[in-house]
Amino acid sequence: MSQPILQTLADALSVGGLYALTALGIGLIFGIMRLINFAHGELIAIAGYTLLALFGMPPAAAIVAAAAAAMLLALVTERLAFRPLRGADPATLLIASFAVSFFLQKTLILFVGARPKGIDFLPLLGRQVDALGVRLRSLEIVAIAVSAILLAALSWFLKATRFGLEMRAAAEDFTMARVLGVRANRVIATAFAISGLLAATVSCLVVAETGVVQPRMGLQLTIIAFVGTVIGGLGSLAGAALGGFLVGAATILLQALLPPDLRAFREAFLFLAVTLVLVLRPRGLIPARGLRERI
Amino acid sequence: MLPGRFRRLAPLAALLAIVAAFGLLAGLTPAVTARRATEALIDLVAVVGLYIFVGNSGVLSFGNVAFMAVGAYVSALLTMRPAAKSVFLPDLPEWIAGAEWPPLPSALAAGGAAALLALVAGWPLMRLSGISASIATFAILVITYVVLGNWTAVTGGQNSLMGLPIYVGLWTALAWAAVAILVAFAYQESRSGLLLRASREDEAAAEAAGVHTVRHRLIAFVISGFLSGIAGVLLAHFLGTVRVETFYLDLTFLIVAMLVIGGMRSLTGAVAGALVIAVLKELLRQAEIGVTIDGTVVAAPAGLGDAVLALLMLAIILFRPKGIAGGRELFGGSVEARVVADGEVDPLRR
Amino acid sequence: MSERERALLAVSGLIVRYGRIAAVRGVDLEIRAGEIVSIVGPNGAGKTSLLSAIFGVIPSAGGDVRFAGDRLAGVALEALVGKGIAFVPEGRRIFASLTVAENLALGATVRRDNGQVHADRERLFATFPILAARRRQPAGLLSGGEQQQLAIARALLSRPKLLMLDEPSLGLAPAIIDQVYGLLRGIRAEGVTILLVEQNAERAFALSDRAYVMRGGEFVLNGAPKALSADPRFDAAYFGIGMSGASP
Repeated sequence: MSQPILQTLADALSVGGLYALTALGIGLIFGIMRLINFAHGELIAIAGYTLLALFGMPPAAAIVAAAAAAMLLALVTERLAFRPLRGADPATLLIASFAVSFFLQKTLILFVGARPKGIDFLPLLGRQVDALGVRLRSLEIVAIAVSAILLAALSWFLKATRFGLEMRAAAEDFTMARVLGVRANRVIATAFAISGLLAATVSCLVVAETGVVQPRMGLQLTIIAFVGTVIGGLGSLAGAALGGFLVGAATILLQALLPPDLRAFREAFLFLAVTLVLVLRPRGLIPARGLRERI
Repeated sequence: MLPGRFRRLAPLAALLAIVAAFGLLAGLTPAVTARRATEALIDLVAVVGLYIFVGNSGVLSFGNVAFMAVGAYVSALLTMRPAAKSVFLPDLPEWIAGAEWPPLPSALAAGGAAALLALVAGWPLMRLSGISASIATFAILVITYVVLGNWTAVTGGQNSLMGLPIYVGLWTALAWAAVAILVAFAYQESRSGLLLRASREDEAAAEAAGVHTVRHRLIAFVISGFLSGIAGVLLAHFLGTVRVETFYLDLTFLIVAMLVIGGMRSLTGAVAGALVIAVLKELLRQAEIGVTIDGTVVAAPAGLGDAVLALLMLAIILFRPKGIAGGRELFGGSVEARVVADGEVDPLRR
Repeated sequence: MSERERALLAVSGLIVRYGRIAAVRGVDLEIRAGEIVSIVGPNGAGKTSLLSAIFGVIPSAGGDVRFAGDRLAGVALEALVGKGIAFVPEGRRIFASLTVAENLALGATVRRDNGQVHADRERLFATFPILAARRRQPAGLLSGGEQQQLAIARALLSRPKLLMLDEPSLGLAPAIIDQVYGLLRGIRAEGVTILLVEQNAERAFALSDRAYVMRGGEFVLNGAPKALSADPRFDAAYFGIGMSGASP
């Protein structure tokens, strides 16, 4: 295969992986609470700014700190903003999520300013590597590997552990899980913590890729990953990951396949696709096998 | 007591009076404040436009700013002098490039274009329920933003269009605010409005009684689109420029926040939200500019205003979800509609 | 008063509202340990609302619920199974995407005695051989009757003192209902108290020690099943014929 095609494929895989992780973070919370966490973008941002703040420290330490920051922020938003609203109707949750997202974003801007800042994070990953007879940036290989490992780990956690079992049950039928004794608060807190971890991972990869940190860095990812969650089927974790992956890969493939004058309309096509899915297949491509109404 | 018919108009009269008072007071202030008040009235038109759909159908729409954008751009294209158009938009088709319409026909045409978009986009979407519908309206926003931002030949793409006739001052804005309130009131008292509100309360019952929820949602959406388009027109001819960036997430957040804080379920809420937030924004803006004390400027950090607004919205959702107006109309009590047999609507007033 | 103290479950004056509609209008109920009590009534009488409110799945607008003397108001939903109440809601509500074994395992969520749980689980598999055969299959693939067995087995794994079931026979073939009811008799023999809500009065009566007839949000009759069937007011109470006042 030729270099450009392989390059595009590698791009599609790595970007797809990022969106899969983001979509999973959103889908995990939606599955359990019927809440679309718009603030996920701010989790990505806070992780990025933590990396910036700790620049100069060993990367491993910075990464751990970024993960801690994102997970902490996730838990705080859950405790303060979303727990009081548990059981509220979906419309209220939607608005609340919107408000939380904007509040965090504006507060972040208040503290760090709206301008993007450059950061040279993990510069070694920018090096080119020969793999399978093709030159790829090691960053992309790392991104693909990290996404795959994280997805596998999460999958194992959900399938093989007691806690994962409780989370899957809660995601399918929250009330029934509680009737059986599953502790709502623990399950929800865990979901938020995991989503924080996923956000931080994505953030580190994005910062390494772009070299830039700005308050809105998570916005694009969240919106498009969210599209993926919807397409994959809200409430289905596998669907979220797959939908996110497909949408992420689609952004790259559309870029490569669309005629030049249509390329800028990529996102319009994506959202058109979402609307079609909503109208034609409201349960998404891989609907969760739950008995309850999804939306 | 006033006879029933006049009593029903009491909320309308009250709101018009309040808005008129707001405008008149602003007219007495220096030009700078008057400008802010004009902006507030334009926001009011936008919020009322959003309310017509959200308040009556119960479905949150994130797409109204797209209608504002369409209104702004269409009016810009119709009113810009051909000379200006040839500078900014050299690739325009002949029939638009040469057009130069007066303000009112342009505004109406622009509102109509926005309404048309609402009709076309809304048709397949109105049968979606709750969250799906909201997500779909968000899609309308993004698609419109991307299309307008990249259709360089017609809109100038990411660049601003400048040189629009600036005809929107305090009185024009006030007049249109009054029109918006009138239209909103007329709709919510109309049969379609009442039926829609009845279905908001209990969709299953309404459907069973033969109410065509989808049709009425679409009607509300189109009217909402028209007024939002007008709001966009007003904004364009207030600023004198149009930029696609203006009509995206920040503006969406602002008008949704105004509606939520004021109260989504009543026209009074929409008006209250717009005016209260406008005043609040002004105060916060002053705080950010600061006061000079003994030569030093004491000011709030830039961006505080936005953060406070978001916090307020969150606080309202947590502690007073029905907003300032609490779902009630001024002097009107809350109007609930109940579907009785055969789709007849029985408005209960408490 | 002492009657009430001896009751395992005591409900007094329970009210449930949806908006302005009262689904349950002040209901008194008590169950003593070891009984099988059923609540029968037509569709829409408020039976499910009553059961859901007793368990706390939906909020109540007034009244008192006591289990073994303790008030249940304010107790979190997930704490109830730890107190010894298991609830099998209407429609079974098993987790379709989880396997039979996983569903069952969730029944033991509050138990700490792993060894005993294992033993209990094996016993349940012996009692419900169908479940044993399908233990690794997704529960969504089970038939209605099998799902009902799974829901009951899952509830039993928590070793409840009181088992509440909402319309266990709904949507099941008569032969399967026989099986399920047979199971319930066996469960009572092991010392579990049962509260049953059913539309099918005949079936419920055959199983129960006592029954309440519910209509329009209130109990209109109660007593031993034989007495109730013989009571001339029963038809009117159940079907609303010739009764003035509340409609369903």
